[in-house]
Amino acid sequence: MAVDLSMPVLVVDDYKTMIRIIRNLLKQLGFHNVDDAADGTEALTMLKGKKYGLVISDWNMEPMTGYELLKEVRSDEAMKPTPFIMITAESKTENVIAAKKAGVNNYIVKPFNAATLKTKISAVLGDF
Amino acid sequence: MGAPEPSIESSLENVSGQIREMKSHTLGLPDILKLADVMVVSMRGFFGQLDASIYKELTDVSSFINNARSEIGRLQPGNLKEKHFPEAGKELEAITQSTEAATNTIMEQAELIMSADPEDMEAYHATVQGAVMEIFEACSFQDITGQRISKVVSTLVHIEDKIGSLADALGSAIEEGPAEEETDEDRRKRELILNGPALEGEGIDQSDVDELMGGGSSQDDIDALFD
Repeated sequence: MAVDLSMPVLVVDDYKTMIRIIRNLLKQLGFHNVDDAADGTEALTMLKGKKYGLVISDWNMEPMTGYELLKEVRSDEAMKPTPFIMITAESKTENVIAAKKAGVNNYIVKPFNAATLKTKISAVLGDF
Repeated sequence: MGAPEPSIESSLENVSGQIREMKSHTLGLPDILKLADVMVVSMRGFFGQLDASIYKELTDVSSFINNARSEIGRLQPGNLKEKHFPEAGKELEAITQSTEAATNTIMEQAELIMSADPEDMEAYHATVQGAVMEIFEACSFQDITGQRISKVVSTLVHIEDKIGSLADALGSAIEEGPAEEETDEDRRKRELILNGPALEGEGIDQSDVDELMGGGSSQDDIDALFD
């Protein structure tokens, strides 16, 4: 099934620059319906009010981390199916394992490039 | 040089000898005074040795304290607090600001290129040329940032040297304190696995992550790691 490039995508990061980078990369990949949040709490509120086709989140944020956001999403029946990709500088094995255990769909280590982002989105949503 | 002071054992032997020679039922005041005199003479050496020993201990303690004071003085704690720490903080703040400013400039110019209309080749060329020049100029932040980082590193080396000197001066007097109690912030970092960016060679790369995310490890394998 073809990926709906008009679906809403939520980017969560506490660094505006990183949000800008991911937004531009997503734009290059064809995604134009992109929202952003500065931390897990803000993202959770947005996720409760709108159905997103993909969440791309950083890990290390205050007051709610991406890891906590992931667990909240996976524990809520309505949000549970939302594809969730973690993009983070947290690159210890324990982080990846914990994220996988919590139900992350894919995991990208910063710094990353456009090709990696496309590959991981494809792995989660299908080819586009 | 006088005769050596009698030991405590010989002094006590002397006193007890004197007592044995006396007959208790005929003891008079002169005998008691004589005995007291013997005791004073006999114990003088002992107390003299005791004084010398305590004096030496106190001298050592005084010397240690003076040495420690001197080393702490060399540490220049006031200078560290008033000068080195604030300057290092300012440098780091300046680094954050300059990298942010440079990144914004580079991104603005990149976005300008992305949004430029290639239909009008002349205008497109001018836009790209201008944007590229701006990007080159913005990249000059790296030189200044490098110099600022060098200053911060110098401060850290300076502090390390001072603390090292202090530790050497205090020597064996320094004992490792008890392990620090975990703060709320530490606990949060541990529970939420907030390690921050790993140094080169310490973390795992994307291929390792892909291996972990792929079929390389089953849920049972992962669960086993948490048991």
